[in-house]
Amino acid sequence: MAEHNPYVDDLSRGIIRENPVFRLLLGMCPLLGVTAYFINGLGMGLATTAVVVASNVVIASLKNYIPTQVRIPCFIVVIATFVTMVEMVLQAFQPALYEALGVFVPLIVVNCVILGRAEAFASKKPVLRSLADGVGVGIGFTLALGILALVREVAGQGTIMGPDPESAILLFGEGFEPMGLFGQPPGAFIALGLLLGFANMLFKKLNI
Amino acid sequence: MHNILRLSVTLAAVAIISAALLTGMHNITEPVIREKEQREYLEALERFFPDINEYETREIEGDQFDLVYDQDGEKLGIMATVKTQGYEGTITYNLAVDTDTEIIGIRVISHSETPGIGDVITTDDFQEQFIGKSFEDPIQEGEDVDAVSGATMSTGSMINSIRRTVITIGENILDMERKAFALEGLADDVYRGSVEGTYGPLTVEVELSDGRIQNIEVIEHNETEAYFVDAYPEIPEKIIEEQSLEVDVQTGATLSAERIITAVINALEDAPESGSGGGDN
Repeated sequence: MAEHNPYVDDLSRGIIRENPVFRLLLGMCPLLGVTAYFINGLGMGLATTAVVVASNVVIASLKNYIPTQVRIPCFIVVIATFVTMVEMVLQAFQPALYEALGVFVPLIVVNCVILGRAEAFASKKPVLRSLADGVGVGIGFTLALGILALVREVAGQGTIMGPDPESAILLFGEGFEPMGLFGQPPGAFIALGLLLGFANMLFKKLNI
Repeated sequence: MHNILRLSVTLAAVAIISAALLTGMHNITEPVIREKEQREYLEALERFFPDINEYETREIEGDQFDLVYDQDGEKLGIMATVKTQGYEGTITYNLAVDTDTEIIGIRVISHSETPGIGDVITTDDFQEQFIGKSFEDPIQEGEDVDAVSGATMSTGSMINSIRRTVITIGENILDMERKAFALEGLADDVYRGSVEGTYGPLTVEVELSDGRIQNIEVIEHNETEAYFVDAYPEIPEKIIEEQSLEVDVQTGATLSAERIITAVINALEDAPESGSGGGDN
């Protein structure tokens, strides 16, 4: 069975069993902040994935050279470096997304999913397994952001692929009055609560 | 001792490598970002001024103003790049006006207003009401342009900023003079004027004698009390002291303060000339 392969195990753990959002409730700040539109949620998820994968690999390969007393500052510098790089790339090549995500891009530095993986996994395990772990956690986080953003955009705006009017698809026709609450931060809490409830129900049924 | 040295060297090494990587990345992305911004700006310039040939940049109070010329060196108008404080952050926009300060177009470059509420400032419906307005127009909320209900902070701050920008362009670039409100020659009386606020009307009574404003009283208002106390009685006092309706408005209470000023102007606009109404006894 594939489950005995440690790489597959590392990869899948972050997606379902230890999904940072549905199971660990980590990284709630960007989760609630940028999920008004599907594109923004997905973009944020991918940006975070890039950072967690890169920082996991670098930290795993440096772990023998970094003294334990200064490991946290070193991790933070590594993470902040990648976040700033992602920020620059977004600003240059995805300006619309960069504008939409705003302050939440630099805030990826303090996303506890990333430092959590660095401290709990990458600083103890080999490089390739850390890579698999980073990819898994990234996918899990992106998945959660994507689902929540999709729910919020459909309920709160009545569109998919907004806010750019060129790509936005109106789901319910012109006369539809969307539930504006779901576009707002309180709506994010409500949607997240409902989603967590469903996720828990599903996990229980599937016995994960 | 050896240990401390090792810790410092490790941290320093990590920081130096990080700085080097970021510098490299910055050098790659910076020109792309600049070029993109510049290209979008030029496209907007061409959209608002189809006959543009060249432009000359001037800076006034931190905002950028580009004077646009056509092929014969004839001035076509001005494109301003302005920053203003919105509800949740800075709004940056372009305002294009012709040589009579008549507004040609507005383009919001960046903002962080609430999605689905404050972002109406980017819609044509909101922006089109400014087209054709100029230096001579009040450009006041509730007068000739409308704020959007539910988004009064975002739209109100855009309206105020656009008005200030048009005045700056008129006075500082095109050397126009704003018609000062002449108090002299108005008949002595108590005048009443009102203006529509966010939650209802604001009415003032202005007592005028010897061509001077003697007293201003707000007799009715529906402003938010917390903001209103910053504007009243300070603004009426300033008007009386300076005998002018062009008083400086403090930030924080701009909406209430500007409503009081507008109400006073509305009150005095209907005032008859002294002598014409038999006021000389």
